[in-house]
Amino acid sequence: MCLRCYELNRRSLLVGGGAVAASLTTGVAQARIRPADMRPLIGPGFRPTDRDEIGLWQQMQRVEEEVAGSNLLIKDPELIRYLQTLIGQVGGPAAKDMRIYLARIPEFNAVMFPTGFTVIFSGLLLRMRNEAQFAGVIAHESGHFLRRHMIRMWRDMRRKTDIFAIGAMVAGVAGGATGVNTGDITQLAQLGTILSLFRYNRTMEAESDAMGARLLAENGYPAMEMATTWEQLIGELNASARHRRKRRDRHVGLFESHPSPEARMADLKASAAEVTLPGRTYDNRRARYLQAISPIRKMLLDDQVKLNDPGASQYLIETLARDGWNGLLRFYEAEVWRLRNRQGDDHRAAQGYAIAVAYPDAPPEAWRWHGLSLMKAGRQAEARAALSRYLAMQPNAADAPFIRQMIS
Amino acid sequence: MRHLGIALALALSVPVAGCVQTRQFADLQFTPPQGDYRLLVMRPDVTVNSVTTGGMPEPRADWTEQARANVINALRAQQAARGGKVQFLTRRNELRGVSEDTVADLERLHSAVGNSIALHKYLGAYLPTKPRRGLDYTLGSEAVEVGRKTGFDYALFMHAEDSIVSGGRVALQILGIAGCFVGFCAPNIGGGGQFAYASLVDLKTGDVVWFNVVQTGSQIAGIKMGDIRSPAGAEQLVERLVGRMKPGRDVRRTMERR
Amino acid sequence: MTRTPKLILAAVALALSGCSSVGDGGGFGSDYYSLVRVRSVQVGDGSLAVTAPRPWNKTRTLFFFDDVRWVEDWTLNGPLLDSISFVSGLPSGKYLIRQRRTDDRQVPKFRSDMSAPEITSMLESLYRVRGGSIDFRTTSLQPRRFLGANGFQFDFEHLDTDELWRRGRAVGAVIDGELYLILFDAARSHYYGNAIGDFEAIAASARKRR
Repeated sequence: MCLRCYELNRRSLLVGGGAVAASLTTGVAQARIRPADMRPLIGPGFRPTDRDEIGLWQQMQRVEEEVAGSNLLIKDPELIRYLQTLIGQVGGPAAKDMRIYLARIPEFNAVMFPTGFTVIFSGLLLRMRNEAQFAGVIAHESGHFLRRHMIRMWRDMRRKTDIFAIGAMVAGVAGGATGVNTGDITQLAQLGTILSLFRYNRTMEAESDAMGARLLAENGYPAMEMATTWEQLIGELNASARHRRKRRDRHVGLFESHPSPEARMADLKASAAEVTLPGRTYDNRRARYLQAISPIRKMLLDDQVKLNDPGASQYLIETLARDGWNGLLRFYEAEVWRLRNRQGDDHRAAQGYAIAVAYPDAPPEAWRWHGLSLMKAGRQAEARAALSRYLAMQPNAADAPFIRQMIS
Repeated sequence: MRHLGIALALALSVPVAGCVQTRQFADLQFTPPQGDYRLLVMRPDVTVNSVTTGGMPEPRADWTEQARANVINALRAQQAARGGKVQFLTRRNELRGVSEDTVADLERLHSAVGNSIALHKYLGAYLPTKPRRGLDYTLGSEAVEVGRKTGFDYALFMHAEDSIVSGGRVALQILGIAGCFVGFCAPNIGGGGQFAYASLVDLKTGDVVWFNVVQTGSQIAGIKMGDIRSPAGAEQLVERLVGRMKPGRDVRRTMERR
Repeated sequence: MTRTPKLILAAVALALSGCSSVGDGGGFGSDYYSLVRVRSVQVGDGSLAVTAPRPWNKTRTLFFFDDVRWVEDWTLNGPLLDSISFVSGLPSGKYLIRQRRTDDRQVPKFRSDMSAPEITSMLESLYRVRGGSIDFRTTSLQPRRFLGANGFQFDFEHLDTDELWRRGRAVGAVIDGELYLILFDAARSHYYGNAIGDFEAIAASARKRR
């Protein structure tokens, strides 16, 4: 049984670390930085000349080797190529030929390294509704390395944690009486080590926001999608907390004040308005994005829904469905209810499966669960038909022996 | 289904001054490799964490890479002094005749086995079915296969964790100690420290035949104990870990009787 | 690169009381595990009895807040490598593990009208939510008699955050609305094969006591 020691809650790790996610809660509380002022500080073919930066680069190269050797990666060459092209366009000339590592982790996160590689978590791909949203995240990340945030923060951190400098320290209190965080914590593999590397301050986040808006618009994407993305993320966290009847997690940087992400969204909207030129058409290229993601979309939904965080999953699915329902989304909506399993949810789920199978793209599992629901409701003949349909679609299903026995 | 982590975490520790503890375990019949043996030194599994104000260790990739490079160099220097033919794996694809994936799988399995030995033989979560003396752990046929394909007699694995205290933690420590004077000792996670183990696997059987643990704890943050991000610190750790390999109990007794 | 549990946390947490008393052999005086001898033993809340073909280690119920009365865990080499869990008549509406009402992600509760696919889905959730499994694959689900009832056998594999593949098998049945289950889970390399025989012997020996 799951007796792996020391399980970290991905959400706490996510909220506490990781370039993209940390930026959500640090927010902005000062004068908005104007996109027009954001110019890249490095260009293509950049190489460090400072000794410490050279050292950092060498380490990053070794980090990349470790990441590349992880068996938690999704290896889909076409999808990777597509993402690579996108990143090359939006990230500016310095981002050409980036190496992309797609990690199968159902969290919203991405980390970009100046040495030329990016780690994207699969949860990010799931949550993006179109190319513009994904490009917005990339553009924001690119901002961090085009404005040299990383080396600045890294140097800052090194100064602070120099173990020889005992005494010049920030006071703090342990979390809880025992000083031990007894919340659920899942340890990520090597991928976890990259999340705490770069923590940006609020000014840097603001710079990246501004730069992101500019890069988006320059590439023909509607810059407003950046604001929409953050809105979706906040909505999800709120929905998750609401379902569990608690307030949204604020465990990031215990002692920083938290200007509201809503203030930040206001800035994003203002920046977007500034960079949007009248008369120019902008396209979020949704169809192309969905097409590219389609081979893994079912897996992404599966990974998310099976975490059984109904508030978040339902919000996510409804958000994706704003662009249109289909069999896959209806099926997973029903799955959310089945796993949620509150009073009346089995009935809700049963209805959901029935709706899902009416779509042409309903996955085989939809038929399976539809059949199992019918069987529970005592509708034997219909159940048998649905389960037979499932077996016909997937004759080598792992549970075929059991299902066959059920309908015989 | 029990959550082992929580169970362990709740057992409180008693603060002690900085100290180094080391302990070897070996098969009763174990004799340290001598003469013309072929040893494969696997890539060391190193993690360096930053212990933040909240008390949680956060692994850092840059410190980890720095430490790993140092540990590899220290191992090289250390093994050069002994006999035998030694190959140091710095990358997974450097072992001729064996795929990268196989090396990776072996590393991952050893991690689980090594951690189990550390947990159940050293850290106190003793398993009643295991013999009190000697070792009873194996990597199984995967390791034997690798031995067969490459001709190595032994494989040496190493695991090292180091936790470096970041600024905030020092103040926390002081808080904890002050608490003691008032009668309530706030248990502390430690001011950073090292935990490392090395295991020697006999590739003819796949069994772990020798295992050594080094733990340095500095419960007083600010007292540095051989930080493995520095070459000197890594050397110190490697020396403690693999420098003094003793024979198994039965062999020692025989030697003593003579 | 492998990911490992934070042994430093374990080190300080396991009450090392000083430089001198390091790793003291132990033996039968274990705080965390007790010996399961080779004879009929009651497991869980006592409504299930099994016989192991060789000695195993039973995880002590040290910290009751994490304890579920109907569930008992054993291990041979330590839970990172292998484990057998017993569910002895879990009533409808109960969970397999303890979790907080406010946890974002939760394992679903057991309901007596669950079919085998729903029960295995609950087990999959257990691995993904609690175990942090990144990938979980059902290898097979087939009918199997257990405790004199029509039950199921569930075979699966999962990839966890320590990048190790593990393999498992469960046999179970719902009897009088309660869940009876024996679940074996171990590292795919060597350890599954090493103890699957034990699991089968234990499952064959299982008897309901009441």
